[in-house]
Amino acid sequence: MFEEPYRWMEAVSTRHNYVQEKLKMGQPVLAVPYNEGLLIFGFAPQPGKIYEIYDRIALGGVGHPADVERLRMNLLDMAHLEGFNRSAEDVTSTRLLQFGIAPALKQNFEEIQRAPYIVRLLLVELNAQGKPNFFRMNYDGHWETFKNGTAIAGDEKVMDWLQREIQKQPFATYSLDQALQEASKLWNESRKLDSDNDEDGKENDVPETIQEAFDQWYLEGAVLAEKSLSKAIYRPLSEDEINRLKSSTI
Amino acid sequence: MKFQSEPNTSAGEFFELLENSGYRWHAKMEGVANQNGFTVPQGTTVLAFHFKGGVIVAGDRRATAGNSIMYELCDKVIPIDKYTLMAIAGVPATAFEMARVLSHNFEYYRRSQLQTMSVEGKIRALSKLLKENVGMAVQGLGVVSPIFATYDPIGKKPKIHFYDMLGADFQIRTHTATGSGSQIIRGILEHEDLWGEKPLIERTREEAMTLAIRLLQTAALFDSATGQARPEDDIYPTLATLTSEGYRFLGDDETAEIFKTSTQRG
Repeated sequence: MFEEPYRWMEAVSTRHNYVQEKLKMGQPVLAVPYNEGLLIFGFAPQPGKIYEIYDRIALGGVGHPADVERLRMNLLDMAHLEGFNRSAEDVTSTRLLQFGIAPALKQNFEEIQRAPYIVRLLLVELNAQGKPNFFRMNYDGHWETFKNGTAIAGDEKVMDWLQREIQKQPFATYSLDQALQEASKLWNESRKLDSDNDEDGKENDVPETIQEAFDQWYLEGAVLAEKSLSKAIYRPLSEDEINRLKSSTI
Repeated sequence: MKFQSEPNTSAGEFFELLENSGYRWHAKMEGVANQNGFTVPQGTTVLAFHFKGGVIVAGDRRATAGNSIMYELCDKVIPIDKYTLMAIAGVPATAFEMARVLSHNFEYYRRSQLQTMSVEGKIRALSKLLKENVGMAVQGLGVVSPIFATYDPIGKKPKIHFYDMLGADFQIRTHTATGSGSQIIRGILEHEDLWGEKPLIERTREEAMTLAIRLLQTAALFDSATGQARPEDDIYPTLATLTSEGYRFLGDDETAEIFKTSTQRG
């Protein structure tokens, strides 16, 4: 069936359309630097968007929860084996992506008899020198690096818009509260963009504003903060930090 | 780094992941009846006791092999996770490896299962490693005698456990010490707790630090495998506390200051 090159290309193209359609409802995850580290957060109907991977690495995901979970477990396995066999300093996002999951994802995507992963991943790290690194990985294994923050979303237009807007702000100079507020504003604005594109938004019970999101969904967020006393510098946002954001936005 | 088509799904068990990757905790050493004439670094004094607000874990810095002093900067109090410390006595190679396995085990469990391992689970994990190490221990190549201190989030207090060579664990309500110099200071600890100015559990952090430093200095006076502090070379004992905030190691400057006041004679 796929012995002709055209057939194969057509099948791959169909897979792109299939995965993009399946991803479309995926809610954004934003990651930005702030003056003491980096922040990663998103709203979702149920928890399961933000995870700790290793001492200085965190993961955000959109897509099918089972696929996010499978890749998360792979990242955890790779990171901990490497950290044990060599050193925590040898566990970097670049190595996890470039030599770990990116080739496997690409191969999986192009083996058209296998089910594709329905995911977009965001990997962030505060490296040993305290510099934040942001990575975005697509379901087909393509990955990009960003210096000043990035975002993933199910809808590519929303994702591209968030990416552009994040670059316009000096997040690295903000305090954590400021960074959280400004990033939340971007999330809020992106809802309007999403609603413009998707007239079914209301029918799907997707919050259109940040106020509705606070009422109906969970805010999941974490920071990688250099000031941590522990070697594992990941910590979820505290209730106080979330409440301060809530009172500033509502 | 290797992407596995089937990730580890064994409920956060890092040890199983390690073994699946080809790692062996100890290679079989068949036909080796004892240590065959060579000596491995060991010898130590480490201690732990409850004080007001937490637990203090302390250790000297010397590693010896037979009559030889091999190293004077050995860190024998090791952080395992944010709420767990392990103090080691015995063969460093085995003890450090145990600490590394445990550290990755606890963190892997927490990250993969999205919850912290229970205190019972942590205590059992070290028992398991010790049990699997018995063969090496009886051959004289891998004897390890650890002290394990961890914070219990349910009981909201830290706990101290010590282990025998076979992996049995014993919870201690006041104090413990292990290593070649431990016999020298266990009596002092008991005396201090029963008839000292106040019981150990009522002592402040500073008072606990002072006592720990004095105990380690005393052990070093009688046990050649326990290293004395050498202020002229900036070599001091390792001191760490464990509280509801997690572990905290004393910095060099703070240790130097406390050492100075602790060792002044009245």
